[in-house]
Amino acid sequence: MLFNSYPFILLFLPAALAGYFWLGRRSNLTPVIWLALASLTFYAIGNWQFVALLLLSIAFNYGVGHLLIVAELVPSQRKTALILGVAGDLLVLGIFKYAGFATENVNALFGTHLAVHILLPVGISFYTFTQIAFLMDAYRGQVAAYALPHYALFVTYFPHLIAGPILHHKDMIPQFEWEESKRPHAHLILCGIIIFAIGLFKKTCLADGIQPLVALAFEARSPSFDQAWLGALAYTFQLYFDFSGYSDMAIGISLMFGIFLPVNFNSPYKATSIVEFWRRWHMTLSQFLRDYLYIPLGGNRRGRVLRYVNLMLTMLLGGLWHGAAWTFVAWGALHGAYLCVNHAFNALMPNVPPLLARPGRMIGAGLTFLAVVIAWVFFRAESVTWALRVLHAMADPTNIVFGREEIAALVQVAIYAALVWLAPNTQKIMGYDHASRRVGESLPAGRMRPLVLSAASLVLAFGILGIQSHSEFIYFRF
Amino acid sequence: MRGSFTSLKRLLLASGLCLLGAAVLTYTVDPLQLFRPSPQAFYSDDTRVQNAGLIRSQSFDTAFMGTSLAIHFRQSDIDRALRVQSLKLAMTGSNSRQQAFVLDQAIGRGARRVIWAMDDFIFVDAADIEADPYLSVDLYRGTAKGIASYLFSAAMAKESLFSLLRSVPPLQQPLARAAPYLPVKFALDDVDDIYALPRDFDIVRDYNAGKTLAAFAYITSPVRSRFLGEGYGYDAMVRHFEQDAVGLITRHPDVTFDIYFPPYSILQFVAMRDASPQTLKIVTDLTAHVAQRLTQLPNVRLHDFRAIKSVTHDLNNYSDVIHHSPVIDAKVLGWLASGEYRVDPKRPTASLDELKAQIEAYRVRQP
Repeated sequence: MLFNSYPFILLFLPAALAGYFWLGRRSNLTPVIWLALASLTFYAIGNWQFVALLLLSIAFNYGVGHLLIVAELVPSQRKTALILGVAGDLLVLGIFKYAGFATENVNALFGTHLAVHILLPVGISFYTFTQIAFLMDAYRGQVAAYALPHYALFVTYFPHLIAGPILHHKDMIPQFEWEESKRPHAHLILCGIIIFAIGLFKKTCLADGIQPLVALAFEARSPSFDQAWLGALAYTFQLYFDFSGYSDMAIGISLMFGIFLPVNFNSPYKATSIVEFWRRWHMTLSQFLRDYLYIPLGGNRRGRVLRYVNLMLTMLLGGLWHGAAWTFVAWGALHGAYLCVNHAFNALMPNVPPLLARPGRMIGAGLTFLAVVIAWVFFRAESVTWALRVLHAMADPTNIVFGREEIAALVQVAIYAALVWLAPNTQKIMGYDHASRRVGESLPAGRMRPLVLSAASLVLAFGILGIQSHSEFIYFRF
Repeated sequence: MRGSFTSLKRLLLASGLCLLGAAVLTYTVDPLQLFRPSPQAFYSDDTRVQNAGLIRSQSFDTAFMGTSLAIHFRQSDIDRALRVQSLKLAMTGSNSRQQAFVLDQAIGRGARRVIWAMDDFIFVDAADIEADPYLSVDLYRGTAKGIASYLFSAAMAKESLFSLLRSVPPLQQPLARAAPYLPVKFALDDVDDIYALPRDFDIVRDYNAGKTLAAFAYITSPVRSRFLGEGYGYDAMVRHFEQDAVGLITRHPDVTFDIYFPPYSILQFVAMRDASPQTLKIVTDLTAHVAQRLTQLPNVRLHDFRAIKSVTHDLNNYSDVIHHSPVIDAKVLGWLASGEYRVDPKRPTASLDELKAQIEAYRVRQP
């Protein structure tokens, strides 16, 4: 089921909210079970064939977690349980996500004709990572024993299940246990609807609106210089509005249930360096990769060279997490290289003279954006060859068309660039603070309030009007 | 708490009003001319949507259908050459199911003659029209769902607002001039201009042997040649032909169908010959079947332009291996008018046999 669909907005969400708050008046546990069942229903609509896999994954991880938390195992047994748990998760992910890719490469290397046809279960990358983090924290002794309904809801919670944000059990389960969240809170519902409206508008009007321009670069046989740049920039903005729109909708929906989700985007294209970009883009994935991959690999604790090796490894695996294709490996490798260069530069020039700080930041922002756009070409292209063709066109200013279509595309791209660089982001507009569980306090009161509500109602209306046909989120396929 | 609940109600109510306001705006301006024709209307190149409005708002006796091969024709040229009042409904990348559906709607609105540029590849993939995400059958049929999706649409509200602004006298001229360069769809002020190339278009720059040979090299490259026959299957294509083309023609015995096989460059077939012979066999077998079937139908005149050597062997007429220049568009209209290349029902595959001989004999000259 899609957030940007009439059945979700007009039927599923109101029913889920009504049931949750109605049951919340009677007990603290039944709303959790209700929400877990609603989440499974949400997942089953369109993905029913993968429900069993999701339930098996929950049961397996809860069981291993139970061993690590409750059973009194000796250290070697605990380690074995963790290895089994993580290996089991990675094996399932490997089979469903990477078996086809591995087979393709075996065929290419050895000239064989093996064929593997396995459908990718929606959301598998997200719920696998969420649960690996749970197991590792359980092993480290950082997890209290959770009740099964709460754990099941933590994994299946429908606002995040399919495309994140990647949740942390320590953040979520206490909120599910909290009695106060089961009572309707008008302020949270109001703020939730406004945040949802902004996300919906981002998806249906902005991301879907610029999507046709992407074809200029990625569906043309030999794009010109201007077409390649316009297509690459269009995809840069489409991806941002698509994914950050989804994250806003997830945060908004969750807020209506009284649950605060972590922020996933913080104006990433305003970053002045690649290091900063990764603190602003898909923030929950960055945190996961840092805490559960980069740091366990040794992080920056074993010298400069190993730090760069760890960075490269982390980004390569991060790339592969997005999809089983060499284009994602190339994308990860590029970002790994960018990060190494960024850290090396910081080590060489630890202090920038104050006079150069401002122009340095501006140059940094420009270079960072350029580097990110180039990397997105690999992320979007069907193959590495295709990506290289687009990049080749982007580097050949002798071949320019700049006709009517390209000028119209340029105007549209310029409008999107202005929005991305000049407009405040959703959490700024709404004063959303995940850590302190605050929202909407910055919204103007008194005479300005009707104006804000009018603007919000317009955004919601246009978000709904933008729903045309089945338009999936880009991150659903990861 | 009470204040927040009041705000919540107001927000939802205001959103509802905005939705209604947008619907009223679209209904009033009616950019597609779905409810009423308008002399001040503007037109869009998004033909799958635009055609729904054209069929309802334009007067015509002849419908012109095809894919990108037929997209650059001008209605005024068709009218002049064939002495008809035509409506061009060609859609880039369209399949036989979409074409048959749109033609059916046009016939229902008064078309007594159909000119159909019939490419073999339209029969490759003909998905269920009722679930086609690219062509809204409800919009064409004017069902409640179709009308609602038109009225409650952000894109149409944006177009309506722009049309409204363009109707304000001081803004009329500057916005009409700027419209083609702005991200708005309804930018053309003449129905004749839909997808037509400008009168001053540099034909030699875009249609020349260099481009045609480059396209040939591209599609026959070993890494891509397997795409030449992707989806081609004789049985399925015959089935689609029978359902879409024959089904439509036999349902409308009072309508005359002028169907033609477009004059692709010889390289289209040579590419198949060299890189995918099984695809060439499917194409020739299919078009033999099509020719035999269509020439038996009393309301069909079939024309085959594929073996006109003076055109198909002159690679300067093309921008790739199939798309011909507007110069050839004009010739096509002339041939249709004269009936010079009409297929003889007694020898339905004569031109195909000639084409096969040409394909076999042709040797590619590198630039």
